[in-house]
Amino acid sequence: MASSKLQALWNHPAGPKTIHFWAPTFKWGISIANVADFAKPPEKLSYPQQIAVTATGIIWSRYSTVITPKNWNLFSVNIAMAGTGIYQLTRKIKHDYFSEAEPAVASE
Amino acid sequence: MEVLRAFVNSPIGPKTTHFWGPVFNWSLPIAAFLDTKKPPEVISGNMTAVMCGYSALFMRFAWVVQPRNLHLLVCHACNETVQLYQLSRWIKAQQ
Repeated sequence: MASSKLQALWNHPAGPKTIHFWAPTFKWGISIANVADFAKPPEKLSYPQQIAVTATGIIWSRYSTVITPKNWNLFSVNIAMAGTGIYQLTRKIKHDYFSEAEPAVASE
Repeated sequence: MEVLRAFVNSPIGPKTTHFWGPVFNWSLPIAAFLDTKKPPEVISGNMTAVMCGYSALFMRFAWVVQPRNLHLLVCHACNETVQLYQLSRWIKAQQ
């Protein structure tokens, strides 16, 4: 019945009784924080941080499919991280290099 | 030399993604370290607080995952340290 499916999830090796569940679940906070920062002006974004978020998101998507136990929660959170990082980077690059007659460009 | 060979062939050695994942993860504490030299206005309170929780949990994860990944553990321990420092700078700047 439905309860045995739920039990299977509950007892899964990457399920809610394990760190394999809670660590990736908490990691969603990074993408959520980044989405909240979509509202920040691009001058206040940090290139090193956004590059780091993007790069780790990409490589960890791969990592999460080869560890034991295989972790789709970790996979999806890293895809989201890479996505938000790429968006923030394009915002900042656009602002720094492609906006017209900006004093920020002159000060580069 | 034997130590080096053992490492290269280990389950968390450079022939595996268990090595390269943590290598890329170092970009997070390195980025934060670069940001310690900048004014606190560029610190995101949200992101930094989340990073503190995230690295604490992943230190535990690195210990229990198969294969056990001490490289990842060290990386997150460093990130925890620098993120806590950045968080203290951010809190101070709010006052």
